[in-house]
Amino acid sequence: MTHLIIFLFFGALCLAGAVNLLVQRHPINSALSLVVVMGSLAVEYLLLGAEFVAAVQVIVYAGAVMVLFVFVIMLLNAGEEVRTKGSRVAMLFGIPGMLVGSALVGWVLIERTGSQTVAAGALPGAPRTIGWLLFHNFLLPFEVTSILVLIAIMGAVVLASHPDTDSGKKKS
Amino acid sequence: MPQNYVPIFIFIAFIGILIPVTLLAAKLVRPDNPSKSKLMPYECGIDPVDSSRGRYTVRYYIVAILFVVFDVETIFLFPWAVQFKALGVFGLIEMLIFLLILVVGYIWIWKKGALEWV
Amino acid sequence: MVPISYYLVLSGILFACGVTGFLIKRNIISIFMSIELMLNGVNLSFVAFAAQWHALSGQIFVFFVMVVAAAEAAVGLAIIIAVYRTRETLNIDQVDLLKL
Repeated sequence: MTHLIIFLFFGALCLAGAVNLLVQRHPINSALSLVVVMGSLAVEYLLLGAEFVAAVQVIVYAGAVMVLFVFVIMLLNAGEEVRTKGSRVAMLFGIPGMLVGSALVGWVLIERTGSQTVAAGALPGAPRTIGWLLFHNFLLPFEVTSILVLIAIMGAVVLASHPDTDSGKKKS
Repeated sequence: MPQNYVPIFIFIAFIGILIPVTLLAAKLVRPDNPSKSKLMPYECGIDPVDSSRGRYTVRYYIVAILFVVFDVETIFLFPWAVQFKALGVFGLIEMLIFLLILVVGYIWIWKKGALEWV
Repeated sequence: MVPISYYLVLSGILFACGVTGFLIKRNIISIFMSIELMLNGVNLSFVAFAAQWHALSGQIFVFFVMVVAAAEAAVGLAIIIAVYRTRETLNIDQVDLLKL
């Protein structure tokens, strides 16, 4: 029972944040409501037993990625967005299409999963077991991840560095 | 088990209640007669020269971008560290390969001068 | 005990909110945040399915999604900075030329 109450409370918080992200016109308000979504999702992960995923969600998403977002919003001085013709067309056709599609997917999901229930902490994902699995079954993806991260580092530096500054000349 | 995290949530709830309560109590108790110079931002005794809402350039956004990427790298270090004994030399070599690839990128950005304070 | 479908419906609604934001938002940073919202919805469904099938692989997959999301955030925001530097705007309706 407490499981259901906690789930519903943080689920509602999560949805409120997501809807607020859509409604707000100023990017900084959207970013802060996205932090709320990510924090309450961490609690949902914790309810499912994924402890390490919850911790990483807070550290990486709410901690690092959102700070970067806020940082870029402040750097570019992003103001209120203006609604244009394109956004009205998207609203006219996008929202009904999205509603129909999500209703279809939701119906299939409920139909297929049935009334199977899950207890609080059903599948404990402690760092210990995650680490064992990561180094046995997922070794190649883990190593390939480092290549992806390397490319991300290089791409970000090349794209973000100012073209007329002396970065590049320093290469000796 | 999620039950182990109950103290953390009690802690968070306690903080969430404590801060408004103390602020409200302080507002009720303290004498309140503001004047213009009292409401002025304190800048070491000198009158403030400009609005504090002004913009100033942030030169280190590349460092912020790189922080996110290296932060993700650490989440892979953590499961390896708690399983260090069980994984042994094999795990150590795999993690060294992982780190070596990232150190290559780190040396590259260092040589490129992206970490310089412009 | 909570039905697993509740978690899936929550993740579906989050994903739908992300798609809607992607469509109706005109600020390039807000669009990017909608993409992050979609990724979060998918992550929740991964964890829920992992609990349903008692397979820890689902939780491991979340880590890879997070790595991809962080790499995407780093490169994407760098692209946004580069776009702003040349176009002086964040409205995607005004960024409709492939070259200047």
